[in-house]
Amino acid sequence: MKVKVLSIPVLDQAKALTFYTEILGFVKKVDVPLSEDSRWLTVVSKEEQDGPEILLEPSPKHFEPAKTYQKSLFEAGIPYTQFNVENAQEEYHRLSNLGVAFSIKPTEMGTVKIAVFDDTCGNNIQLVEML
Amino acid sequence: MTFYQSEIQRIKNSCYANTTQIQKVIATRNYIEEHFDKPLNLDRLSNVGFISKYHLLRLFKRYYGQTPMQYLIDKRLEKSKKHLKNGMSISETCYLVGFESPSSFSTLFKKKTGSKPSAFQKKQFSQSRSITDF
Repeated sequence: MKVKVLSIPVLDQAKALTFYTEILGFVKKVDVPLSEDSRWLTVVSKEEQDGPEILLEPSPKHFEPAKTYQKSLFEAGIPYTQFNVENAQEEYHRLSNLGVAFSIKPTEMGTVKIAVFDDTCGNNIQLVEML
Repeated sequence: MTFYQSEIQRIKNSCYANTTQIQKVIATRNYIEEHFDKPLNLDRLSNVGFISKYHLLRLFKRYYGQTPMQYLIDKRLEKSKKHLKNGMSISETCYLVGFESPSSFSTLFKKKTGSKPSAFQKKQFSQSRSITDF
């Protein structure tokens, strides 16, 4: 078995695609229409385009328990997903300048530095820099 | 304060209170990052860090979740993938990232990535060619 696709639940796929590509810098990989209002839509890291794909999955829109779960995680400040970065402080400045809201500013936690931001699609995302 | 923020604070206080230990293992990791292409072993790392090798082994595993040698192997393999993607030969890549024999490099590479270095390189070339052709 290989890890190829991981899901991030999003309320609005078009808005999520804009955020994940234009703000975070990911690259769109697969975009297949499935119905009138949903697509099989994946993005990959620009530096690792043959790496795992993130499926921007519209489950909160179609499946009430997914919406409830996402909302509860968000309200508790819990990040559903994390991305590794070379420098958390620099990424924090870059994203803050683009208007991204952080619930946790870069903070050292032993051998890592973490920061948590709102992806505007219903999720907290954690950045991790290994120290 | 959210639940997660309070958990972060709790974990920080309970698991990461010993800053001396943490600085030691971070320094060891930085040394591996800078010298991964040199002959490294636990003796060398413990001498550099002025720490007994068994203590270093225990601390590194506790804070990074893997042994220094596992970390070193992952680092070398990550670097080797970049060189192979850029078209470097397998033996040149092997020595450049610090492995001592192409056959053991090849075996380890297959175990960790699922493909031999030659197959990995071939796949990279065919992918980049198909993008160019397109």
